[in-house]
Amino acid sequence: MSPSPTEIEDPKVEKENIVEPDSPWIVIVWNDPINLMSYVSFVFQKLFGYSKEKADVLMLEVHNEGRAVVSTGNRERAEFDVFRLHGHGLWATMERSS
Amino acid sequence: MSEHAYAFVGDPATKQIQICLDGESREVLLELAKQFRSLLLEDSDDSLERLYPPAYLDHSELNVEYVSLVHDDLLQEKLTSIDIFESTIWLEFVEIEKFFSWMAVLNSIRLVLGTRLDVSEEDEFDFEKSHSPEQTLFVWLAMLLEEAVSASTFYVEDFNKR
Repeated sequence: MSPSPTEIEDPKVEKENIVEPDSPWIVIVWNDPINLMSYVSFVFQKLFGYSKEKADVLMLEVHNEGRAVVSTGNRERAEFDVFRLHGHGLWATMERSS
Repeated sequence: MSEHAYAFVGDPATKQIQICLDGESREVLLELAKQFRSLLLEDSDDSLERLYPPAYLDHSELNVEYVSLVHDDLLQEKLTSIDIFESTIWLEFVEIEKFFSWMAVLNSIRLVLGTRLDVSEEDEFDFEKSHSPEQTLFVWLAMLLEEAVSASTFYVEDFNKR
């Protein structure tokens, strides 16, 4: 696991211009070595109202896979979720859904 | 620093958290919060970047726009959390909503400290081993945050029932 989000090759860059402007965006939380696993799960429950089971699954996906999609929506909604996650110290980014 | 069995105990009935820290621990936390506020207001330390991550990995222009929109709000949130933390540091019971400010302060300081220590997944800290003062502080804050999460669990359980 790395201390910062790993740059990944984005195969959809070429297609980006033809994606509809209101196409859904995904919010991604990245693994980091500082945040506690229990805290990350707690934040998912607190911000999104997820059950502990769902929050734990997402947290473990972040921990094991390096990233997990935690919410989707239009750009405004995704940006709001990213802002809230940043406010809680999580490393979150957003991108267009493929 | 003291090593209580429980630093925080949640009470679902009153929606409060009992603070079980001794005076010395509270003094240390108060001093940390004070230093953290100064660091935030100076806004020049590289380790603060961890508190303001990018929202877009592939769109630098969108990211500049995002940062310009949210940086001051994120900063103000942290300053407000510090204010609430300081105003409740000597209480025995803290309302859960205000206790979230405790968690925000504890986690933010850990993020800054962990960034400075260049903490990686391979690092294993525990009280059984000898560490630098900064590493010991990092571990202590982790223990406090872990207990803070545990004590606040009733809030999200209740939240999820609504």
